[in-house]
Amino acid sequence: MIIDLSEEAAEFGRQALRAFEAAGGDGLVQRAEVDPSSREALVGPVLAELGAWDLEPRADTDSLEAAAALCRSAGYWALPYPVAERLSRPGDLDVDGLVVVASDRPLATLAGLDLRWAAATLDGRRHRVTGTSAGGPAFRSRLELSPLDTDGVADVALALVLPCWTLLGMLDRAMELTISHVRLRQQFGQPLSAFQSVQFQLTDAEVERTGLDMLAKYTLWSVGEGRDEALDDALALRMAALEAAEVVFRVTHQLHGAVGFCDETTLSWLSRYSQPLRRLPLGLSATRDLLTSRLDRHGLVGLYGAEREVAQ
Amino acid sequence: MSREATALRHELRDLVKAHVPDDFLGAFTADPADLATAQAFCRLLADRGMLCMSWPPEFGGRGSSVWEQTVVREEMWAHHEPRGAQYMGVNWVGPTLMRHGTPEQQRTHLPPIARGEVIWCQGFSEPEAGSDLASLRTSATRDGDGWRINGQKIWTSYATMAQWCFLLARTTRGEKKQHGLTIFLVPMSDPAITVRPIGAMLGPHHLNEVFFDDLRVTEADVLGAVDDGWSIVQDVLAFERVGIARYARCERLLQLAPSALGERWSELPAELRGRWARMLTHCRRARLLAYRLVALQASGQVKPTDAAAYRIAVTRLDQESAEVLMEIVAEIPAAADDTAEVFVAEVEDHWRYSQASTVSSGSIEMQRILLSRSLLAAR
Repeated sequence: MIIDLSEEAAEFGRQALRAFEAAGGDGLVQRAEVDPSSREALVGPVLAELGAWDLEPRADTDSLEAAAALCRSAGYWALPYPVAERLSRPGDLDVDGLVVVASDRPLATLAGLDLRWAAATLDGRRHRVTGTSAGGPAFRSRLELSPLDTDGVADVALALVLPCWTLLGMLDRAMELTISHVRLRQQFGQPLSAFQSVQFQLTDAEVERTGLDMLAKYTLWSVGEGRDEALDDALALRMAALEAAEVVFRVTHQLHGAVGFCDETTLSWLSRYSQPLRRLPLGLSATRDLLTSRLDRHGLVGLYGAEREVAQ
Repeated sequence: MSREATALRHELRDLVKAHVPDDFLGAFTADPADLATAQAFCRLLADRGMLCMSWPPEFGGRGSSVWEQTVVREEMWAHHEPRGAQYMGVNWVGPTLMRHGTPEQQRTHLPPIARGEVIWCQGFSEPEAGSDLASLRTSATRDGDGWRINGQKIWTSYATMAQWCFLLARTTRGEKKQHGLTIFLVPMSDPAITVRPIGAMLGPHHLNEVFFDDLRVTEADVLGAVDDGWSIVQDVLAFERVGIARYARCERLLQLAPSALGERWSELPAELRGRWARMLTHCRRARLLAYRLVALQASGQVKPTDAAAYRIAVTRLDQESAEVLMEIVAEIPAAADDTAEVFVAEVEDHWRYSQASTVSSGSIEMQRILLSRSLLAAR
């Protein structure tokens, strides 16, 4: 298993953070919201320059870790582009990206993009996306699907895991913004950070963010190794990511106060654009139900499961 | 984990299976046979060179890797710590003596610890000094070529059976309360020491009061420099930074639940099985946070604040998993078989013990203070 990403992947993530900032930073999502058809023009060139589409996360570990770091950086800036979904493209289909959808609700944040997409349901049925409806909030659109095959089981785990890295980047940023805010904002003659009730709320959120960080790395390893239980691990990660997002956004909004709901603060944008990641393809309860049903009696692989993690 | 660490895990499980009864719930029950089991198990580990394997070879250890030490912590805690109180001697009393003890102190104390023959207790907490440890009042005053110690300690685990106490006392009053504290190594057999057990839901021997009434000790009983005890306390805390592998017992019990319930498992409310799956995920999360800490420890970079998020996550896991397990065992039929009965007893013990997890060895509030300080520090 891995405890940390490689230094190369971490450096790639830092480069991406700087590149997204130089390309417009927080302004990117604001501009894309006004005109979703500008998403490619706003973000495509910087991703291409970073070499994002040269990554082969399904083929080699270095690429996989770099892809995860890139998604995290994209989340940090709420980048208005489906980076994780493009990086999840299956190796055997001639498409630009893959989205995982619920079988009865084919929705994804693809509005305004002119790309070739595949969609897979959690049971592995693959489809070609033949059309997208006009965009709703946060670039969400309904997909028109044409069935392809049932070979997508192996594709789904990575396509669930990389968006969790995007969400993790959003949580990184929400925490960073909130820590800055409580250190600056004065009430009753002292910064908010001087109040223990504020400090303790921050620790609740930080435990969730740090724990998700570790689970995300573990699951990346599990998927990269092609382990039998990779889909269980991906669902466990998604469940933990959604729980962490609930806590982190609840705390960070509370500590920002009313200003956190205003579009003059970045938190308002981050929070809003985290919503599709959290509800698609399945929300928290449905993710937990599916995980529970898959775990049946054998549980998660670990120290005492039916099958233990073997020495690596 | 290396292949060596995995092999060690299997070896420890085999030893537990062969030498520890299935219904063992720790050494400190009302049944003296449990203490005897732990003592025999420690001798067994010592004979195989496995009791102090983390110690450096010059002190009789194997110099094992931090990952092997992690495996030992996990397997022992998962199986109700069949080393009894020896984990304290092995994990921090011995290593602290290696760093700060005189050659004479090392000769006196390290071999019995390495053989698993001696029990130590920790004389830190006092009625008025819990989380605020440096406010302690037990005093050691100069008396000729030695010291006289007076005061009271509380919550002192294993004091009724310990032969030695690792005692923190005030030797000088200064401006800063962390200054002027000194560590003494004192024999519990001295008649100037009185131990009074405190009845508790954790079981006998866990909580005691210890009274020092004009205890006379010599200069040779001082560990390290006089008035410099606080820096030794920091070392003790550093040795125990990762602490108890609580997640290992949580995971073992959660994974045992379906077989303990048999056919009844599939009839459990879906919501309860969902909480079970959630707790298994939280076990993994806590374990990974522990491993991050172990990796930092291995590189010598670990700081007190690094442990705080893990400590918060693992103590919450302890309590939440115990709550889920209590609901699960409530579904076991009254006429259950012996395996199910043992499982119920394990879960009930786990629940009682978990209530203390956010209090003992540094309360969760102290961990939150540490973590928030680190988050809010100027970047």
